[in-house]
Amino acid sequence: METGESNLCQPKFRILDDAQIGRVHQAVLKILDEVGVRVNHPQARELLAGHGARVMDDHLVQIPSFLVEDAIASAPSNLVIYNRNKTKVMELGGRRSYFGTGTDLPRTVDLETREIRDTRADDIITGTIISDALPNIDFIGSYGLPGDVPPGLHYIRCFQMEAENSIKPIFFTAESEDDLAVIWEMACVIAGGPQALSDHPFLISYNEPTSPLAHSKEALGKLMFCAKNQIPVNYAPALLAGSTGPVTLAGAFVVAVAEALSGLVIHQLTRKGAPISSGVAATTMDMLEATVSYTSPEFRLTHSACADLFHHYGLPVWGTAGCSDSQYPDLQTGAEYGFTLLNAALDGANLIHDCGYLGQGFVASPELIIFADETIGMVKRYLRGFEIDSEHLALDVIKQVGPGGNFLQEKHTLDFFRKEHWQPGIFNRKNLPNWIKAGKKKADDKLLQKAREILETHQPEPLAAGIKNELDRIWEKARAEFQKKLT
Amino acid sequence: MGILEDIYNAVIDGKVEEAATGVEQGLSSGIAVDDLLKKGLLSAMDLVGERFGEGEIFIPQVIWSAKAMQAGMDLLRPHFTESQQQKSARIVIGTAQGDIHDIGKNLVGMMLEGAGFEVVDLGVDIKPERFIEKAVEEKADIIAVSALLTTTMMSMAEVVSLKNEKALSSLKVIIGGAPLSSGFCKEIGADAYGVDAMDAVAKVKELMGL
Repeated sequence: METGESNLCQPKFRILDDAQIGRVHQAVLKILDEVGVRVNHPQARELLAGHGARVMDDHLVQIPSFLVEDAIASAPSNLVIYNRNKTKVMELGGRRSYFGTGTDLPRTVDLETREIRDTRADDIITGTIISDALPNIDFIGSYGLPGDVPPGLHYIRCFQMEAENSIKPIFFTAESEDDLAVIWEMACVIAGGPQALSDHPFLISYNEPTSPLAHSKEALGKLMFCAKNQIPVNYAPALLAGSTGPVTLAGAFVVAVAEALSGLVIHQLTRKGAPISSGVAATTMDMLEATVSYTSPEFRLTHSACADLFHHYGLPVWGTAGCSDSQYPDLQTGAEYGFTLLNAALDGANLIHDCGYLGQGFVASPELIIFADETIGMVKRYLRGFEIDSEHLALDVIKQVGPGGNFLQEKHTLDFFRKEHWQPGIFNRKNLPNWIKAGKKKADDKLLQKAREILETHQPEPLAAGIKNELDRIWEKARAEFQKKLT
Repeated sequence: MGILEDIYNAVIDGKVEEAATGVEQGLSSGIAVDDLLKKGLLSAMDLVGERFGEGEIFIPQVIWSAKAMQAGMDLLRPHFTESQQQKSARIVIGTAQGDIHDIGKNLVGMMLEGAGFEVVDLGVDIKPERFIEKAVEEKADIIAVSALLTTTMMSMAEVVSLKNEKALSSLKVIIGGAPLSSGFCKEIGADAYGVDAMDAVAKVKELMGL
């Protein structure tokens, strides 16, 4: 007999209760109202002043609570993102988690030589093709920062290479409003015009305030450009507890949230209802090495708190996982990928980026995108939970097989094994003799082999020739303008 | 070709009734027993084994293919010629004395049946004497002993020495189970060691010169 209760048993996780959310939120409102944030963009200051914020000396702006509440209310709670072919592929909101790479890694562990060298333009294509081929990578970042493309142009070039080599949504960075405008022009060509692009956005701009409590002119220029043109944007700070924020996690967290929400206010005042994803990355500065940890347990705690708070706000929330502080693929990488991916998914973060990262956001190693994909598969299966309806409780089969029997040959086993059991693609489950017979391959070996296989065989869906030519034309134009600026 | 193809596909898809119906139809419409056996049942199982080896299909699917194949085989067996009978080995299988862990033994049994062999399953906790008695009684070609517990491994050695005492030189002993190794197999003088169920099938084929 079914009872009408839920049949689905799933891991459930949160660390802030409702009362704690209230206290955190009040602290954030107090910071914005009584301390304020530095707003280094004249139009943004005018906009805030015109809506009741207090603009003080030194571009300091104190934001009253009602503006914050209004922005939380007007920002969309669900962000629909499409692929290049206008198929809906992500609905950022609720506890739906999507995973992708990050951007801007200046060094790369070469797939062939295994040496750490400067990232090149062709590495962006490598990362894109590998990401395109993997089932659990939902969106694509440039992954690398190509050292052989001049600053000012490299984000344009990255976007172009990503769009040419994958249909998946592109999560991109821009230096300023200038290159952002060029990237937007390219995206419009691909979508068939600005309206078509805002109807079916296949890109998300990555942008961030500067901790503590400041918004740069460039960041705000890009943020307002995105709002005006309905380009989905992720605006979230990367704060370091103990240096760019208070050392205590609670203090670091509320400062970072104040930065995120003041960005949200400016964004929503620019255009109400414009698409935005928000949240924070509040991690620790290592007090011995003065470096940024991408995987500290403290970061995971603020990550969880952030997800709880933004779920409460009803806003799409940013996440970070599948990354490592190790400089080279090793055991540390494995532990940190597993820990962060499980945590981010349990948190129910929506836009989980930085999969495949090494070296505290400085080193790429393309086969690790495959490692992240494998681990995400495992984590997704875990989060799916299990059902306890009569079919899954299987009492009929249990009676039929009886004590000492064998379930392997039951129809029930045949019917359910694929749905119930996750099957690894990379991780070993061979017994020792078979593992020896198959060449004693470790996960590292298999990842490299798979990466080479994908690069040899995977054919991303190409852009139409006309669109590709148009992107080339836009690229050449941007390059010529850049040369002109130099001379 | 229609009926043979139906049988072949039924085995690959693990459709027990369809495989049996196909063999019945094949027999009644006069298709040669050898064709039904080789082109219908065995070649399908070969492909299933290959796919399994490549990681394209999984154990439950292999088992259902084996069941379909077995259903066809049961209908064919009465029509076998002397030489067809001989090509199919008869295997007496059980877990070692003191060991009631039988999932590995069951899996091997199903895989062997799937490969077209006759399997006599003695069950669990089988005394060495019982293995020998039953093998003689059934005119078996092979004794297959499975163990999970290290404490029961030595009873495998007893099966081998009993066999040697009785000078049953054509009777072979194959062993398998998680704690075993090819070194242990050599040490006790068994004829073969199967690393897993698929390997057990390969080793039985080797022992039978197939």
